[in-house]
Amino acid sequence: MRHCIKCKGCYWVDHTYQPGARFATRCPSNVWNDFDSYGAFGKMRIGLAVDEKRIEWTPSLLEIIYADPLCGACDVGCKRNLDLEIELTLEALRVKAVQDGKGPLPVHKKIAKNIDTTHNLYGAPHEGRKKWVTNDIQVAKKADLLYFVGCTASYQSKEIAQATAKILNGSQTPFMLMPDEWCCGNTLQSVGMLDEARALAKRNIEMVKSAGAKTVLLSCAEGYRMWKVEYPKLLNIATADLGFDVVHLIEFVDDAFKKGTIKPTKPVDMRLTYHDSCSISRLADPWKPWSGERGWMGTVSPRLQRRRGTHGLYAQPRNVITSIPGVKFVEMIRTRENAFCCGAGRGTKEAFPDLATSSAKHRLEEVKEIGAEALVSACPWCKANFAQAVKENGDNVKVMDFSELVLASMEA
Amino acid sequence: MTIAREAYKALEAIVGPKYLSDDPAICEGYRSGPGGYENGLGYERVMTKIPGAVILPRTTEEVQKIVKICNRYKVPYVPYSTGFYGPRSHCHVENELIVDLKRLNDFEFDEKHWYAVVGTGFIYAQLQQESLNRGGYVVIGGGGAQASVIANLIGDGWSPLSHRIGLPHRRILGTEMVLPDGELLKTGSLAVGDDPFWGDGFGPDLRGLLRGYTGLRGCLGIVTKMAVKVLPFQPEKLQPTGIAPNTALALPEKRVKWINYVMPSKAAQVKAMYEIGKAEIGGAVTKVPLFWRAIAKAEDKEEFWELWGKENAETVKNFHIVRVLLIGFTSEEQMVYDENVLNDIMQELGAQPRRTKPSDESWIKNADSAGMWLMCGSYVSVDYVIETLKQATEHGEVYAELKKKYTPPLMPDYGDPGWFQSFELGYQGYSEFLIYWDQDEDTTGVDHFYLETAKMNIKHGFYTALIGPHQPMYLTGPKYGPNYHEWMLKIKDEFDPLWVCHPPVPLAHDEFVERAPWMHQLKDWKTPKEFPMPKWK
Amino acid sequence: MAGKNELAKIVGKENVSDAQEVLLKYSSDHSLVPPGMPEYVVFPTSSEQVGEVVKWCNKNNVPAVPVSSQVHFNGGAIPKQGGVIIDLSKMNKILEIDEDLRKARFEAGVTWEQLTGELAKKDMRVFMPLLPHAHRSVLSDFLDREVMTNTVYDYGEPMQAFEVVWPTGEVFRLGSASVDGYPNSKSHGGNPSGPGLDFYRLVQGAQGTMGIVTWTNLKVGFRTKTDKVLFAPVNDLAYAIEFLYRLLPRRVGQEVLLLNRTDLATIIAENWPADFEKLRATLPPWTLIIVISGLVRRPEEKIAYEVNALNEIVKNEFRKLVVSEALPGFPGMSGKILPLLRNPWPADVPYWKNRWQGGSQSLFFIARPEKAQRYVEIVEAVAPKHGYSVADIGSYIQPIEHNRACQVEFTFFYDNADAAAKARISKLYLDAARALMSEGALFTRPYGALAPMVYEHAAGYTTALKRVKKVFDPNNIMNPGNLCF
Repeated sequence: MRHCIKCKGCYWVDHTYQPGARFATRCPSNVWNDFDSYGAFGKMRIGLAVDEKRIEWTPSLLEIIYADPLCGACDVGCKRNLDLEIELTLEALRVKAVQDGKGPLPVHKKIAKNIDTTHNLYGAPHEGRKKWVTNDIQVAKKADLLYFVGCTASYQSKEIAQATAKILNGSQTPFMLMPDEWCCGNTLQSVGMLDEARALAKRNIEMVKSAGAKTVLLSCAEGYRMWKVEYPKLLNIATADLGFDVVHLIEFVDDAFKKGTIKPTKPVDMRLTYHDSCSISRLADPWKPWSGERGWMGTVSPRLQRRRGTHGLYAQPRNVITSIPGVKFVEMIRTRENAFCCGAGRGTKEAFPDLATSSAKHRLEEVKEIGAEALVSACPWCKANFAQAVKENGDNVKVMDFSELVLASMEA
Repeated sequence: MTIAREAYKALEAIVGPKYLSDDPAICEGYRSGPGGYENGLGYERVMTKIPGAVILPRTTEEVQKIVKICNRYKVPYVPYSTGFYGPRSHCHVENELIVDLKRLNDFEFDEKHWYAVVGTGFIYAQLQQESLNRGGYVVIGGGGAQASVIANLIGDGWSPLSHRIGLPHRRILGTEMVLPDGELLKTGSLAVGDDPFWGDGFGPDLRGLLRGYTGLRGCLGIVTKMAVKVLPFQPEKLQPTGIAPNTALALPEKRVKWINYVMPSKAAQVKAMYEIGKAEIGGAVTKVPLFWRAIAKAEDKEEFWELWGKENAETVKNFHIVRVLLIGFTSEEQMVYDENVLNDIMQELGAQPRRTKPSDESWIKNADSAGMWLMCGSYVSVDYVIETLKQATEHGEVYAELKKKYTPPLMPDYGDPGWFQSFELGYQGYSEFLIYWDQDEDTTGVDHFYLETAKMNIKHGFYTALIGPHQPMYLTGPKYGPNYHEWMLKIKDEFDPLWVCHPPVPLAHDEFVERAPWMHQLKDWKTPKEFPMPKWK
Repeated sequence: MAGKNELAKIVGKENVSDAQEVLLKYSSDHSLVPPGMPEYVVFPTSSEQVGEVVKWCNKNNVPAVPVSSQVHFNGGAIPKQGGVIIDLSKMNKILEIDEDLRKARFEAGVTWEQLTGELAKKDMRVFMPLLPHAHRSVLSDFLDREVMTNTVYDYGEPMQAFEVVWPTGEVFRLGSASVDGYPNSKSHGGNPSGPGLDFYRLVQGAQGTMGIVTWTNLKVGFRTKTDKVLFAPVNDLAYAIEFLYRLLPRRVGQEVLLLNRTDLATIIAENWPADFEKLRATLPPWTLIIVISGLVRRPEEKIAYEVNALNEIVKNEFRKLVVSEALPGFPGMSGKILPLLRNPWPADVPYWKNRWQGGSQSLFFIARPEKAQRYVEIVEAVAPKHGYSVADIGSYIQPIEHNRACQVEFTFFYDNADAAAKARISKLYLDAARALMSEGALFTRPYGALAPMVYEHAAGYTTALKRVKKVFDPNNIMNPGNLCF
């Protein structure tokens, strides 16, 4: 925090990719509220004040800290040039709020309670979690691949779970589900409730291991990030030491297209664009634990390989999309690590619906600017948020999940 | 801690409650340091405060009303575009209002007449892309592509691309500014209408009130709108490539190309610049300090120090690289001509071209100043002066000599004499001397060095960037002009009779010397018993 | 008498005069500005002397009128409220010519003839306005923001650091000449800006009201190695200007300008009046002149690529334009034009604008090039109302910096021995100015009667300007009666 230079690399699109007068920013929080405090650079100063006890916990301070989808744009933007850890600092501020008994926000506490009692975000009956499985979907009792569905696809965006399952079936890849799937804990971890998140992590990992799966597949970007990055982080181990692979459907399909185990033969005649969901792009670099010392001129030892968002799933979805016949693919103006977050994830939609909606609407301006008929993303949170914004705007844009697009290109 | 109630209410009526706040959490976000340009030093610790309130106007009219209210209720205020310039662009007194200008981000472009009109919140990266889209380009100031175009053009505003047009003052066309007492001044063609295409005044040119070489740091009003010259470029696209952190612009090699040359000596380096200027070719000609190459190569701080640790005074002394950017403004044929002439010159001087990447990571779109902090965490440019190539090529060595006394806490750079290059086709020369330190160390030495450079420049008769608000005015004033400070203070008194505009600038560094006990031993110049401010208490 | 003695103490007896015949020389010039007599003329020989004279003026509430040139066209140096003429013609040293830095430093009294002559010895040149009078002060012309004929340099302004004597009498150095000990310093005066404020901007265009500039640094260049002069006859001015919008941003050409038949005839005619009338009748309505030059290295190749680029544009987009090295019907034009463009107008013949009828008044302003045609139409509508024939209007369009703007100049010729003609031209001049101004013409150098018109229109600017003037010249002694002072 002490080394933030206020260059606002956390706010602006990487200058090399800067498109000009419009679509110039990367930070949903600071676009929603113009005061500097809402940008990461402002929060670094606030963080210091919190750390040094120079500022009191007020509703205003809590809003500044929580009105933020933690999308990682600031982290990656800063790391283009420097060695700071913005994302970890923003997460730590929430942990501190929880530790001091001031956070999280009431609506987050309700979600935590839901998770505790019904093992999902919504407080819906736990028994109904697998109701999305229709008769035409084959689920194996045991398989190398375990499909972790997640709360949102299980209860609200069932079409995503169904499309994913059908893709797996269509590729002749047997898959199993969690014997007893509970929430991945994304909201808990994001709002600073680390103990609760850690408990869930341990439980879920254990269940995967005892089920004998070699690979966990997610169709939800947030879930992907949780399993691949946050679980190791919570347990202070490396992603590589989890004991199984974590893949997103995108990686699976990319691989399957290349191997020929899925053939996209049905044309999908659409001019469409792709939104890089944060958790599978800039937040997706694998985790490696580190501890060490800060030394002379701020050098650290041992050497730390920082996660700069370079290894996100950027190429894979594009490989897939451009292989589907009939698709006219047009890129958004802000892509890959510069993508503008939809604003819904990590507890934000529930606590700050206005931030989520206005961010989605802002992103939709881009969709309209490039003349796309459809917007594809790879996260149920993105899809739901965009769909709501489209409806409110009355826009003529079809909002699809990646799984739905792929399924549409497969013969029955 | 806030501003006077009556003032607050009056301000709220202008922008609405959404765009005004005195909430402590909001104000804390506007703290200057501890990181950043010139941060972690005594000036920042002694002179800066967080604001009492922050206001976000949208238009010139709103800014004017705000300033008038500040005058009425004696509320000191600071104009603020991005806050990147470090402590000098933040509050210096208690209960001060920050006028955050980021919402003044309108933009227009006149392609035919080669200019853009921007508001204070518009940054260079945006302007550069808009210009490139139309076959033009601008010089992004070394402050970085994230700098506000207006703020940078009235304060700094040069880069290696200044080989073609050096003095940023020349790029300022019709301008709108709110004077410190709330009067509105429009310069150039805006003085008589809505068309901003022309910069010169009617008779005397009141753009003279904007800068004073490196700016007035916001103590003489708020610029809200400016038309800026765009220079004709070439028509091929520069394609952004790569994923962070390795992003770069791929250059269309037949029209835009960097070439690095290894020169046999410093004299050859300097001669190359003269000859290239005389031949009137090239888009940029620059020498860079050796450690910048290490920064460009290093993936992180640790790798930088590993690379840098391999160097020493000998390697630094014998490292002479000239980087030349060729731009095919007219045609591919012209590019070939430029390259032939360049090679003629380089052959005469015994230089060797090196394999150079066909991409630009910095100057054209990025002007990546943020990398300056990579090494040590703290940085300031202790001089960045446009003069002639004669001064430019000698200045750095004198700095390097002085710097030895203050290393540590300054970063060891083995006597590197800084950065210099040709400006305005060799009619001017530019030199910049950058220093780096770890702000967690005792930085008294850095504070001392900073002030000692002013005395060094006076002693040797160097022109320097750090006059006006940057160094004690009562030290530099008598020695430049002479007595430029008297005129500056007279103008300040005329247009800001209450001194509410960013007090106590331009006497802030004088004030710092008075307040900081560790600076007293350096004070060997006269000051009046009482400084001519504050006037608002 | 007392005054004369006091002034003599400063500059020396031989350098003061109050003789009628001497004073009379300063009371009028080639412009329409009414005459005014000074009380004294002094000829200082150093900046310190200038400073002392100015201090004396302050003390005695006497106007100080700086004069650097020996010939004047705009009336700025005519004393409007009496006072002392400070004639800098004896401060006419060329102080240094630096070939490495490509700059010259010289005093206010140095003339075009003098400077171009000295530079020529080193194979160097000044970037010139169109045909400056040989006996005008180079410094004065650049300070007044005369527009250069060369359009290719991004940085435009050639003045660098200079020295000024403030209206309160202090000798002050601007920009990087401000360092203690200059010129025996590490700084060489390459930067005009600062310190503290950009004083140089406040003094430029001031018509001597903000101080007296005693010497300046100026960018100069090396002579071109080879040149190709191209011409295009122009019937459709707007079309030619569209061509310049396309050509000049490609950085083609050194001197590029448009002259109408009357102006061009006035410049090149040799045997008067026969040549002149014949030229006027046979020259195309406008002539576009483009000089393409090879510089110090590979000059032929430079010319080649510029010519190729120009030809491409003509061939693909401007077929109606016939660009060639000759002006059809006018053999030898190229050989004639180039030396004219590269040298001052000789002092031993009448100035080109005054060759025809003895008197002339030019109306010049800054404009968007695409509006030039409209401005021509405006003036052509106004002139006949004052009995002035359209065919007799001299017109000159000078593109500025890649044609981002231009200077338009209309010249009205008259018999300066005819008082009635002079009065008619005065009215025409103001009438035309008003009409042009109402359609966006920028009179950024408002001489004489233009000033009140301009400053009334630019009210906010005027107020701020007066506040600045008050700071530098609290007693308003520096050339009062000009601009808005």
